Amino acid sequence: MSPRARTTLWLALQLLTTTIASSLAAPSASALPAPLAAASRAASADTVYFRDPQGQLDAARFDTLTANALRVLLDDAAAKGLPTGPLINRALEGAARRVGGQRILSVVRAHAAALAEAKAALGEGSTVAELDAGATALRAGIDAKSLTVVRGTRQNGTAVTALVVLTDVVKRGVPTSTAREAVATIARNPRSDDALLGLQSTVAKNSQRGPGMALDALNRYVRGTVTGTQSPSTPETSDRKPVRPPDS
Amino acid sequence: MTDERVPGDQGSNEPADLDLRTFSDDAALVACLRASYARFPAPDAAQVARCTTAVLAATMHAPSRRFGGAARPRWWWGAAAAAVLVVSVLRPWQPEVAVQQADGAFVGASAAPVGTTTESGDAIRFDLTLPNSAQKVALVGDFNGWDEHATPMVRRRNDGAWSAKVPLLPGRHVYAFVVDGRTWLVDPLAPQVPDEGYGPANAVVVEGPR
Repeated sequence: MSPRARTTLWLALQLLTTTIASSLAAPSASALPAPLAAASRAASADTVYFRDPQGQLDAARFDTLTANALRVLLDDAAAKGLPTGPLINRALEGAARRVGGQRILSVVRAHAAALAEAKAALGEGSTVAELDAGATALRAGIDAKSLTVVRGTRQNGTAVTALVVLTDVVKRGVPTSTAREAVATIARNPRSDDALLGLQSTVAKNSQRGPGMALDALNRYVRGTVTGTQSPSTPETSDRKPVRPPDS
Repeated sequence: MTDERVPGDQGSNEPADLDLRTFSDDAALVACLRASYARFPAPDAAQVARCTTAVLAATMHAPSRRFGGAARPRWWWGAAAAAVLVVSVLRPWQPEVAVQQADGAFVGASAAPVGTTTESGDAIRFDLTLPNSAQKVALVGDFNGWDEHATPMVRRRNDGAWSAKVPLLPGRHVYAFVVDGRTWLVDPLAPQVPDEGYGPANAVVVEGPR
């Protein structure tokens, strides 16, 4: 069997599997949350959730099987209340990089799962940009708890910058817990996006100087930016100076 | 002087006439030679002075013993050094050659591009400085559907600086640079999106408060 035929067969199986999984998931709507269950009951099997009036998904950039599989994936994501824009962007990015249809579908499916997890961690009221940044953070290895903590520091504003900086700092070698504390400490201050981007820039520059430099730069930046705070990775110590025992 | 004969003495006054096979030990041979030379008349002072002068003169003018042999300074050494100096100093200045050499050295040291993103009115300006000479650079991202023909960057100078200005909606945008239609680059210092299964990471830019 030629590689092209094998790829075509694999894509056909993927499409068939996704279609069957979607049709099987529909009757078990009682297990879904109330809004989704209601939506599922109201919708028949032929309901199409994903609509693309603006032609965001340029199907001409994919082969037919990949495009059809993408439509099924996007429809499934829309049925779950997930934004489809980030998924379309991942698919278009793959097409621009000229990667195969299998990998595009794999990346889009993984990103959809991460979007769902990010939505659960960040809350229903999160914006599309926050969900996309949160999904990227999750795929970078950051746990959902860190997303919740960072989102909690911005009750009234967007947490996009904080999530982006958290992802970047972790990617540059800072431990997740330390990065989370640093970002959360800065993000608690109002209008601190510039300070967060300054943290990212400082860590990025110092990470090129050698291992451990990124963490050291992060500690120094937090100490210098937020007064009255300790470095995120500094263990708690007593400020009391050693006292010489009185002479007997 | 003595006429006493030693073993092996065949009656000759010249050392060359000695028959060395007749000597059984070295001590007898040394004694015989000493006796034969002792019969020669002592050289006069003029002869000694002439020999000494000749030996010293030969030693002083021997090239191999005076100063390094073949490395002895010659007059054409100075001429060659002067010629090299004139060629190197008076060589015509070629800026493009100097730029290429500098680029090559830079590429050897660090092939990382340098990029910046700045707000320019209601748009974002992307700047990229490449260490090598690229023919065309395109900006791709989620704002143009990742189409490498949608946003070509403009070469600002001949030093590898490229720029593009794109109006962006508030939010998070993922982007990358495509050099010569085949090489994807990211800004190493900008916030990066980890590899999502496609290869090199992309940089992101986030607008202000929304």
